[in-house]
Amino acid sequence: MGDPTNPPSRKAPLVWALGAAIPWALLAVGQVVWFVIGHSRLWLNAVAAAVTVVGSLVFIVVVPLWRYRVHRWDVSSEAVYTRSGWLVQERRIAPISRVQTVDTERGPLDRLFGLANVTVTTASSAGAVRIVALDVDVADRVVAQLTDIAAVGDEDAT
Amino acid sequence: MTSSPGAEWSRLSPRMLLVHPVHEVLRQIPVIVGTLVLGSATGNPTIAIVVLVVTVAFGVARWFTTSYRIGPGDIQLRTGLLQRKVLSLPRNRIRSVSTDSRLLHRLLGLTVLRVSTGQEAKREGAFALDAVEAAEVPRLRAVLLADSLTPDTEEFATPGRVLARWQLSWLRYSPLSFTGLAMIVAAVGLAYQGGIAAALQDSGIEQSGAAFADRLGVATTVIAAAVVVLVASSLLSVLQSLLSYGNLELRRDAEVLHLKHGLLRVREHTFDMRRLRGGTLREPLLVRLFGGARLDAVMTGVDGAGEASMLLPPCQKSTAETVLADLIVQPDAVRGPLRRHGPAATRRRWTRALALPAVAAVVLLAVPLPTPTWAWVVLALFTVCCALLALDRSRSLGHRVGDGWLVARTGSVQRTRDCIAAPGIIGWTVRQTLMQRRAGVATLIAATAAGVKHYQVVDVPAEIAWSVAAEASPWVATSKWADHSG
Repeated sequence: MGDPTNPPSRKAPLVWALGAAIPWALLAVGQVVWFVIGHSRLWLNAVAAAVTVVGSLVFIVVVPLWRYRVHRWDVSSEAVYTRSGWLVQERRIAPISRVQTVDTERGPLDRLFGLANVTVTTASSAGAVRIVALDVDVADRVVAQLTDIAAVGDEDAT
Repeated sequence: MTSSPGAEWSRLSPRMLLVHPVHEVLRQIPVIVGTLVLGSATGNPTIAIVVLVVTVAFGVARWFTTSYRIGPGDIQLRTGLLQRKVLSLPRNRIRSVSTDSRLLHRLLGLTVLRVSTGQEAKREGAFALDAVEAAEVPRLRAVLLADSLTPDTEEFATPGRVLARWQLSWLRYSPLSFTGLAMIVAAVGLAYQGGIAAALQDSGIEQSGAAFADRLGVATTVIAAAVVVLVASSLLSVLQSLLSYGNLELRRDAEVLHLKHGLLRVREHTFDMRRLRGGTLREPLLVRLFGGARLDAVMTGVDGAGEASMLLPPCQKSTAETVLADLIVQPDAVRGPLRRHGPAATRRRWTRALALPAVAAVVLLAVPLPTPTWAWVVLALFTVCCALLALDRSRSLGHRVGDGWLVARTGSVQRTRDCIAAPGIIGWTVRQTLMQRRAGVATLIAATAAGVKHYQVVDVPAEIAWSVAAEASPWVATSKWADHSG
């Protein structure tokens, strides 16, 4: 089995990085407050700061780039196929004839950067295929294509 | 409301006028006891009487306010005294009808009838007729299932083929379950909450018990208590199993599967065979040691785990296998040899199982204090157990694909063999963790609309994962990503 070919939007790593940066920034602010008002146990402050720096580096720099390298998607006339993840990687395929709904979902950051996520669900709760971080125009095209093909099928889809 | 003209609203059995008040009183027991205590304290029993009367009145009112009707397009249930509620179900959505009669219901010849649509119904969202007369049930069942099943009347009149019947020997698998232990723990918890323990404190029973324990010594007391608990839990498990599965009968009438069981509380499930997508043979370790297995149905519209999908409780493995083979008409899927997953998968079972003993050994070595000999003995025993587990787990692992069926077996303590009809598979996932990528294996997950929705083939060699999927599902094989080189 080959891999799907289309990468997500080029802005995807940036959006993922920003999404991860917000909680880490809050954590950092909390630590600064702690450092200012608490006077004892400096070493504990230092350890927490080190953990925060390493964690934020991993989740803000490494993970988004890693995910960008892994994430791929593809839609053919019969199936939708994705690859996703970073440490745990998944390749998932679902036949379009069994598709029940096609949803588009956009979070605040996605809206800011013009991205959209497409979720294709089937009758199985374990079989939903998610294509994340697409440019809005690409997402619209994918949704139109999927609903076009899926509308042809009239089976029970179970 | 206009969707079902002509259909009459009917009431539940009038005998429920007896049952509802009793249930209502049972439900309000804390309140009633509270008012009784209050009444005896103040010397004024009026409150207690008023509360009792109101409770009984509520019970009676429930019968008058509950009604149902079976229209041509849907069925409706009206309930509620203060808050009226109408529950409607389209009839073509009905997937199964089950019945249940507890002791009080049985004494009065009543049966609770539940209609399931396969949606995960919440407790109040479930369509249950509580209760109708037992004689009404076959007619109602036939009417309710008529739309989704189109049964022949003769087929309902003549009982079909019996696939399995309860046997006394099935009881031998039940002492090995935790049901009895759970019941004992629950009883003890209840006793503590009810203040019985406090009442025992410093009473004669406790003092004589303590004196007895003193004479026996700590070790003997603990062992004696353990033996008593073990025997009691085994007896309770056997009793529970006998009462709930005694006179079980699994019967097939054409496209309908009937399961009926229970001595005191009789339950009956009806399954639509056309929604059967396979079956799962479960062999919990303790049941497997005695050559037993249990059987679950994999059906769309029936909850995958738990009682709703149970076809056979722990019984002889051959019985479970024969029944499953009969249902899915594919003996190879049930009994056929499996393809093993190779050395990488085996290695992963061993490293996982032995990780914990290894850590324990390192800790024991690292602790500066002198370690007692018994600690090493315990560790050695633990290591042997883990090794046996690893051996069994790696031997369990296997899959089989072909003839339109996917079969996957995993596990040791809870060994399962899932047989899934390939046409029912509506999605495939190949998942690899970092460790799996390094070991060159992958977990293949088949998504279906039936049963537990996802069935895993654990740690197949990465290069054959997709070919398994392609062999089961032609649409994977013909997709443009399939490498046709092989």
